[in-house]
Amino acid sequence: MALWFLRGLARQVVTTRYPAVLDPWAAALPTPPSFVPGQLTVEVARRLVESCPSGALWQADGELVLDVGACTACRTCQRVAPDAVALSGVFELAASSSVHLVKRIPIEGGER
Amino acid sequence: MSGATAAPGGDEDRLAARLAGDIRALFGRSLHIRTIDTGSCAVCESEIRLLLAPHYDLHRLGLFFTPSPRHADLLMVTGPVVRAMEVALGKTYTAMPEPKLVVAVGACPLGGVYEEDELVRGRLDRVLPVDVFIPGCPPSPLALLQGLLVAVGRLAEKVSALSFIAEQEAAP
Repeated sequence: MALWFLRGLARQVVTTRYPAVLDPWAAALPTPPSFVPGQLTVEVARRLVESCPSGALWQADGELVLDVGACTACRTCQRVAPDAVALSGVFELAASSSVHLVKRIPIEGGER
Repeated sequence: MSGATAAPGGDEDRLAARLAGDIRALFGRSLHIRTIDTGSCAVCESEIRLLLAPHYDLHRLGLFFTPSPRHADLLMVTGPVVRAMEVALGKTYTAMPEPKLVVAVGACPLGGVYEEDELVRGRLDRVLPVDVFIPGCPPSPLALLQGLLVAVGRLAEKVSALSFIAEQEAAP
């Protein structure tokens, strides 16, 4: 008991913080896609938009728009265009505004 | 909160920002959460339930689930806001004492799964003022934890700084 008390004093109150070291399986969690700009051509972007089952992707002004909030991290886009799509690896996605979740990705050769 | 100009409205903005900060400081280590399921497939619920398991142990952070909206400071909403639950959702929100926070959990209340139609509203922010959006289908317990701590101002949000553009490999 005394040892636990001393351990607590020595280590401070680490248990009341957000995990300083993430769980080892955090890397395997499904995450939204990120896009490789050089590989993202107009044709690839069209296929990605068509394939997205949750409507999280669309095109506007020569850019590909990703709504991270609408993305279900199903990886369909990665299967459709494995060269142009990687996984972002980010799962701490909380946002104070839905505007912060809408990301614009430039398309190679996209016309504005 | 960023005022575009230093107009006469600046004072109110500063006051509002300070009040919001005070509220979050009060909630910071004692926050009671009410969850409401508006047509979710229950996977979000199972992730929320894991927050209480010893591994994540929500109580150590001063966050608690409460069955009564009268005792709740924060409302976690899952599901695509089916119209059948709209009255219940409104009553729950109204029953909560001020100040209160609303968190939308998962892709459904963020508009990713259902369009608005005669059965669902599709997005929670069409119905209630949402303070924090937590994407994911479902969000992992860690993502939920981060969202809750963002809601009470104990963690900064990360996603607004991300571009979702993969880093290109160096040219050969």
